[in-house]
Formats: sequence, C-alpha cells, structure tokens
Amino acid sequence: MKRVIVCYKWVPDGADIRIDERTRTLAMDGVSWTLNDFDRNAIEAGVQIKAATGCDLIGVTAGVDTEASGKDALSRGLDSLYYLSDQAMADADSRTTSEVLAGMIGRLGGADLVICSEASDDEYAQQTGPRLAALLGYSSVTCVSALSPSGESLSASRKLEEGVEDVEIAGPAVVSVVPDINQPPFPSVKQILGAKKKPSQAVALAEVVGDMDRIRPQLRTDSLLAPEVSRKRVSLSAGGVGAADAVAGLLKALAAEGVL
Amino acid sequence: MSDYDVIVVGAGVAGATSAYCLAKGGLSVLLLDRGDAAGAKNVTGGRLYAHSLERVMPGFAGRAPVERRVTRETISLMTADSSVTIDFQKPGGMSDPASASYTVLRAEFDAWLAGEAEKAGCDLVCPAHVDRLLKDNGRIAGVVAGDDTLTADAVVLADGINSLLARQEGLKPELSAHAVAVGCKEIIELPERVINDRFNLAEGEGAARLFAGAPSGGLVGGGFLYTNKTSLSLGLVVTVEGLARSRTRLPDMFEAFKKHPAVAPLIEGGALLEYSAHLVPEGGLKTIPDLVSDNILIVGDAANLCLNLGYTVRGMDFAIASGQMAAETLIEAKNNGGDYSKGVLDGYWRRMEDSFVLKDMKTYKNAPEFIERPGTYNVYPELMDGIFSDLFTITGEPAVLARKKIWPRLRKAGMGGLAMDLLKGGNAI
Ligand SMILES: Cc1cc2nc3c(=O)[nH]c(=O)nc-3n(C[C@H](O)[C@H](O)[C@H](O)COP(=O)(O)OP(=O)(O)OC[C@H]3O[C@@H](n4cnc5c(N)ncnc54)[C@H](O)[C@@H]3O)c2cc1C
Repeated sequence: MKRVIVCYKWVPDGADIRIDERTRTLAMDGVSWTLNDFDRNAIEAGVQIKAATGCDLIGVTAGVDTEASGKDALSRGLDSLYYLSDQAMADADSRTTSEVLAGMIGRLGGADLVICSEASDDEYAQQTGPRLAALLGYSSVTCVSALSPSGESLSASRKLEEGVEDVEIAGPAVVSVVPDINQPPFPSVKQILGAKKKPSQAVALAEVVGDMDRIRPQLRTDSLLAPEVSRKRVSLSAGGVGAADAVAGLLKALAAEGVL
Repeated sequence: MSDYDVIVVGAGVAGATSAYCLAKGGLSVLLLDRGDAAGAKNVTGGRLYAHSLERVMPGFAGRAPVERRVTRETISLMTADSSVTIDFQKPGGMSDPASASYTVLRAEFDAWLAGEAEKAGCDLVCPAHVDRLLKDNGRIAGVVAGDDTLTADAVVLADGINSLLARQEGLKPELSAHAVAVGCKEIIELPERVINDRFNLAEGEGAARLFAGAPSGGLVGGGFLYTNKTSLSLGLVVTVEGLARSRTRLPDMFEAFKKHPAVAPLIEGGALLEYSAHLVPEGGLKTIPDLVSDNILIVGDAANLCLNLGYTVRGMDFAIASGQMAAETLIEAKNNGGDYSKGVLDGYWRRMEDSFVLKDMKTYKNAPEFIERPGTYNVYPELMDGIFSDLFTITGEPAVLARKKIWPRLRKAGMGGLAMDLLKGGNAI
C-alpha cells in the first residue's frame, strides 16, 4: 500500500441553513461551508491505514471555494491536498463529480486505494464511490464498516441489512465507508497548526477534463423545499384548564387519533 | 526555546486586538478560542464605541462588518403601561471616527477581528479549549489545551468574565453576586426597510434605545434595543443580587419587556434568530483584580474592565484598549531582552492608569452604588408618568396650572430622597 487517496466534499453547513416557514424554501445566504460530515470518517479510515502501512495519504476534493477546506482537512491527518476549485462545480451532479475526481486521480497517477464516504450531506446521491470505481477501472466495495490492510491486500467488512459480509480486496479499489467505521477525533491544536505547513496543490478543470461535454450536469433540481410540518395546534391547557383535566383531554385526543 | 513569544487565550475583542498588535509588533503569537470560530458564542448588547479600535486600526469601520452607525439615541423611563422618552439626534456630531459608535453582531465582528490578527501573522486555532496554564519551576510557561502542551514566554488572559484560568492561578477571586449583572438578549430579524421606517433612519444609520424602570421590574438594571442592518438586538440587564431577591425570573421579565406597549410595536413581525444570556462585570474599580504577574497579563472582561451605568454597558472599548496596552507592554519587554517578570510587565498597569480605561473606571467609581439606588428604577418612572399624564390628559374638568399639578407629585415621590439622588447621581455619573 503505497498511495491512498481520500475524496471529500466541501459542503454548505446544514446547521446554518434557515427555512422560510411560509415558502419552505432554504435561505442559503450567510451559510458557512464545512467538511462533509461523513467524509471525516473517510479521512480517519485513511489515517488508520497510514498508521498501519506508512502509505502516502492524499486528500482530493473538487467543488467551489475548496481551497478553504485545506486547513480542516489537513489537520485531520492527510499528508497533502490536491484540490480543484471551479464555479462550474456549483451545479455538479454525481456524474460530473465522479468524472472530475477520476480525472484528478488519473493525473496523480492512480492509487492503491481510494476511500470515499457513502454520501454527502447536501446531495446524498450515494453514487460517487461506485461511479469513480467504474471510471478508474478499480473494484468497488460499498457499505464498508471495517477496513484493515492484510499483506498486499485489504480486508473489509460490509454492513448490509441482513448482516455483515467480510471481503478480501486485491488490487486497486474504491471503497465507500459508513459512519460506523470509526469515531474521528477532534484535531489537536498542534495538528491544526501543522496543517498550515502541509503541501496543497490546485489543479484547473481544463487540466483534468478533456471534453467538457462529459461533465455537463444532466440532473437539474427543479424544486427543493423543506418538509411540511403539520401540527394540529390544539392547546389543551388554555384558558385556565387544570393539569388533571388537561391530561384527561390529551389522552382522549390521542385515543381519537388512534395513537393510543 | 518556547513555541511562541506570547499565547493569547480567548479571541473576543480583547484577545483578538492584543494578538493583532503583538503580531504587528513582530512577536510570534498564538491565539486560542474554545468556540468553533472566534466569537461564535460571544454576547454583547451591541454598541461599540469606536474610539479605541480606531486608534489600533484607523478607518476600521470602512472594512469591518459593523451593522449601523448610531445617529439616534433615546432613553425611556417606563412604568408597566407608560413611557416617557427623551430622543436625541445629531447625525453630524456622531460621525467623526473618534466619537462614532456602531452596532455590531459579535459572531461576525469577532471573526473578522481575529481574521485581521491572523493576516498580521498570528496563528489562530479554534476550537481550542485551554484547560490550565502550564508551569515550569513555578513560572507560567504556556498553556495546556486537551492533549496539547504549548509553550510561550508570556500569556495574555482574555478569556472573559468567568476567567477560570485567572481563578486557578489565584489572580482573581470567585465572582460575587454584587459584582455581576446578568444579561439576556434576543436577535430579532426584520427587513432593512422596515427597520429604517420604524426607527426613522436613513440607510446605514442606527438607533440606540435604552429603557429604565418597568423592564427590570423596578430592579437595578435596564433594557436596550440596538438596530442592526436586518435585525434588532433586544436585551435586558439586571443585577444578580436584585434577581436573587426578586420573585420574577429573568426570562419572565424579558417576556413582559417584549410585550410592553412601548416595545411590542418595535419588534412586531420579527423572527427570533438567536437567544443568549451572559454575565456582565459591574462591580467597578474596586473589583479589578491584580492584572499583572510574572509572565502573565489579564485584559478585558477577565480583568473586570467594564462599566455598567444602569442605562448602558461599556465593555468592548475597554477590552480593546486593554488588549492593545498589554501588547505594547509585551512588545517593549521583548525588545528589551525578553524579561517578562512582573516588574517589567507592571508597565501595563501604568499605561492603563494614563489612559481612559482606568481614568473612566475611577471617574465612575461610585456609579455602582448610585445605580443600585432603587429610586432610579421605580420612583422616577412613576413620577414621570404622573406628571405627563397630568399634562396631556384633558377630561373637561376645570383646568389646573401645570406647576400646581407637579408639586404634589414631587412631594409624593419624596423630595428629600429625590434631592439626595440628584446629588449623589450627579456626583457619581
Ligand atoms: C447583555 C450584555 C450587553 C452588553 N452591552 C454592551 C454594549 O452595548 N457595549 C459595550 O461596549 N459592551 C457591552 N457589554 C460588555 C461587553 O460585551 C464585554 O465587555 C466584552 O465582550 C468583553 O470582551 P472580552 O474580549 O474581554 O471577553 P469576551 O467577549 O467574553 O471573550 C472571551 C473569549 O474567551 C474565550 N474563552 C473563555 N475561556 C476560554 C478557555 N478556557 N479557552 C479558550 N477560550 C476561552 C471565549 O470563547 C470568548 O471568545 C455587554 C455585555 C452583555 C453581557
């Protein structure tokens, strides 16, 4: 295991997104950007492989304003960063993203192992890993809940609905990991300070994609609305109703709804 | 060889200013804050008197995320259902940089200020929670944050009113109830145009409104409202001692304040964005701890450098100036051979004595007692209500001259106490 690549995504911070209750639209102004939550597990999985094998651990990301992600991503234990930042990635669908990432990994000369997470916070398409494997000609292993090197190959456990499947992976592979795989620690002050000194290199879209038609997004989002929360807005204790009566009223109302 | 010349703990306005000045002065600096970002959880009322930051970064307001420049001030004396307001505006007079004041939101403002420090060359790490000071042969030699040990020749404590680190070191006593007030605040979103119309403001202009009397339930304290670009900062500050004696809880007081006929129309239709609560140092000069020891300086709220005059809280301009003076002292120490012992760092105290910081704290040294006179918060609002109700109410009853109406009210309020309050108040503020 000489070179391991972790792909991660730089996404809008869900905690900052506000919902307009009347229109149910999402207000994205003033939203800060953050490392996709699940990708912290992917990076940590890479860090553990590095600890076991001494491999070179490279972070790869493509998106908008991805340069800003370096401080956080590198502080988590990556050795270096290879990033692409282009406004064209704003509307990227899974096809676009995997084409671009495959181009970037190709330029790096491939890898023995590529680690992704199962999905991103914002799109949740669950496609990038398998698509990337197909484009690179590597094997694809999804739902990975445990991963460790064994000699020249890798042992992985796949968490499936009915149980756990153990597999051996020979040759280059793209694995996508589930959050159970590990608990990423908070980077220490020294790791955060060290991140500044690590190398990071930008690459332009034209350098990794020859034919722009191949990355034109084919999925268009027509509407994105917050789920409707319908409350009955019944107040059982209004107008000085005592606690005992209010509870009796509540039980009756719940029974009428068929909840009890 | 230490990792840094100086480590600054806390990236509020005091710490960030200190780190900025230290980095500009050529020292290697590490600025640590426990928040996810600098200022993420910091609370203030909302008005920054610009003069002290103006001295550090001339023209800062043109670049910083300030909300509005305050051009309009009102003070209202309120009873439960009335209010008498004095309204002052002088946009021109408040426009030169040294006398201007701006409304600010700390999450954005502090992040910007810490960013300026970073640009000046300081290392910034958040979140980093400092657990204790690092000791080497009894001397302060840095900080310990989680598993990290970070060494420095000197430490600046800018960790706010609670300053656990200063208490651990025995530099600051436990907070006592009569030396702190507690404030709570809501940020209420409204469209910019609505705010301009409602408060009679031109674009970029802001209002500062203070409320005394009923908002604090007659207790020592008061309410405030500051206009931001697209939100209002509405809050209430009450002494902890008063609250302990009162039967009303702060959240209930705040709810009643929001429903007061003088306040409700101002916030109507607004959406609640954020709720916060925080302590305010208000013990005045007497409670300022020893700010200097070997290899350590204390700045801002951690040093209790804050004035609560009942109707207004001033802490950020003190925090900024103290941060700057701590930095100047450390830069001088470094340039004179790197001796950071107490004798050398005492220069910080002398700088503070020569500046507005300790001068103002001295000028207002009796203010805490004055603002704690109960009359300020219940008798006068009632008195004003009575006088103005008499003046403006016409019922068809035979008219009585105004002065004949006012005298009995003054007598009822207690002329003796009133005269004493005027005298004491006049002396204290
Ligand atoms: C309700 C209210 C209204 C106010 N109104 C005004 C006003 O209108 N105008 C005005 O000028 N002043 C006002 N003040 C006072 C003003 O907010 C303070 O004086 C000012 O914030 C002090 O700044 P500081 O940097 O010293 O401390 P803080 O702003 O408290 O910053 C301390 C920082 O230290 C960090 N920290 C603490 N402990 C640790 C640790 N162990 N490790 C790492 N980091 C740590 C915190 O995260 C924080 O960022 C008001 C205060 C309140 C509460």
